[in-house]
Amino acid sequence: MVEIVVENLFFKYPEAEDYALKSVNLVIKEGESIAILGENGAGKTTLAKNLNGLLKPTRGSVRIEGVDTRSLSVAKIARKIGFVCHNPDHQFFAETVEEEIRFGLRNFGFPEDEAEKSVQEALKTFGLEEYRSRNPFQLSGGEKKRLAMASIMVWHPELLILDEPTIGMDYAQRLNIQRVLKNLVSEGRSIVVITHDVDFAASLCERAIILSRGEVIGDGCLRKLLSDSEVVEKASLRKPFLIELEEEAGFSKMEEDFDEICDFLTRVFPKCRS
Amino acid sequence: MSFLRAFKYKRKDSLIHRLDPRSKFLLSIVLMSFSIVFLDLRILFAILIFQITLLGLAKTLREWVYSLRGLIFFFIIIFITQILFGGSLFTGFILSLRLIVLSSSMSWFFLSSTPEDIGRAMSAARIPIELTFSFIMAIRFIPVIYDEFQSIYDAQRSRGLELEKGGFRTRIRNLMPILIPLLVGTIRRTYEIADAMEVRAFGASPKRTSYKPLKFGRGDYFICLAAAILALLIFYLKLFLGLE
Repeated sequence: MVEIVVENLFFKYPEAEDYALKSVNLVIKEGESIAILGENGAGKTTLAKNLNGLLKPTRGSVRIEGVDTRSLSVAKIARKIGFVCHNPDHQFFAETVEEEIRFGLRNFGFPEDEAEKSVQEALKTFGLEEYRSRNPFQLSGGEKKRLAMASIMVWHPELLILDEPTIGMDYAQRLNIQRVLKNLVSEGRSIVVITHDVDFAASLCERAIILSRGEVIGDGCLRKLLSDSEVVEKASLRKPFLIELEEEAGFSKMEEDFDEICDFLTRVFPKCRS
Repeated sequence: MSFLRAFKYKRKDSLIHRLDPRSKFLLSIVLMSFSIVFLDLRILFAILIFQITLLGLAKTLREWVYSLRGLIFFFIIIFITQILFGGSLFTGFILSLRLIVLSSSMSWFFLSSTPEDIGRAMSAARIPIELTFSFIMAIRFIPVIYDEFQSIYDAQRSRGLELEKGGFRTRIRNLMPILIPLLVGTIRRTYEIADAMEVRAFGASPKRTSYKPLKFGRGDYFICLAAAILALLIFYLKLFLGLE
């Protein structure tokens, strides 16, 4: 299983004067669900692109299963680490949804019958069966986002990195994606989500990495970190609703008793089930 | 692509940036003429030093040096053709120098003039606004399209696409997943821009005013004078001294 070790990573874009990432140290283990949070321009996407080899460190190292990303091709890394970029329009080119999903499998040389099976499975998982022969450019925003995810998930990478998966989505679509990703996590797959949506992150991820101006200002239990007003303010975030509620209601030691709150809430508001 | 950076406006506060684009353009044309007319090492060097001074004054030396890296490809072609067709390495060197002078004279102008400035200069020359506007948009969108190309390339590499792999035909076919999203995005953007322009009443009145009218200052007269002297110098060196 895939393990990423980031050691003293510094990254600078060729035209920039300042470092986009400064002295980042992380270990991502198998089966983890991680949210990368931080203000605009904090370096979230830059960090993600360093994890899958699209960008190579200026100083320090990123090692995947012990191998430095500098010595690996992006395609080789992509087989294990899937990256869903935030703008789906940047990747569609095929004539049909089905073909679009098949593209990755072709690149990795999957045998035809196995590929066909995976494509059908992905169509089903992401609720795209009825659109299979549509042109990807004719889909709505949410459907495009789902197709983008399907076209990466189809080869079952061990770690999935999603850049802003919920941006521009209505509540129902967001819930749908949340469900799909939750399933992945429960299957033991690792996911890394870059987002501004703290509620989405809180419902999905155990661990948070909080960036501010290229530096990691918090790494650990998401609920603990997002209850820390100082960290939250520094990264231009807000606390998730459930944590705010805890504080308003005066619960103590909530990090450990999060499920208890949910139970409490469902008792008080029987119709509210998250 | 790094070569294009030499022509992308760099926001700086400098003496050169404050000049009128018309005078800068005039000087650029004269400097360019030197590189076209002469092959003399001394002249080319002198002009290059003059250009470096100008770039230094415009605080854009860094961008210029960076752009030279993009020219390396052309230098290689120059040297290879010289070797293949019986020229000397010295001629290769002179031709490379000529190329540097040629591109520097234009990059100095573009690095220190905003696309809007260039547009205003064109309007002042009575060029119709539709043409001027298309020209400015073309310059302005080169870096945007380049960034988009990079994002698309990254997205497809993350799906296992390898451009370096395979024979000629495979490579061409592999370009499709990049070119199609780029083309679709660009066409879509043109529609969006057209809408945005109409919403802001583009073309509503035939007489347009400018927020920042062009003004010829003392520095501009100085630049024009320098351009005139240099232009005369070209004639003098060529016709009276007969330099190559």
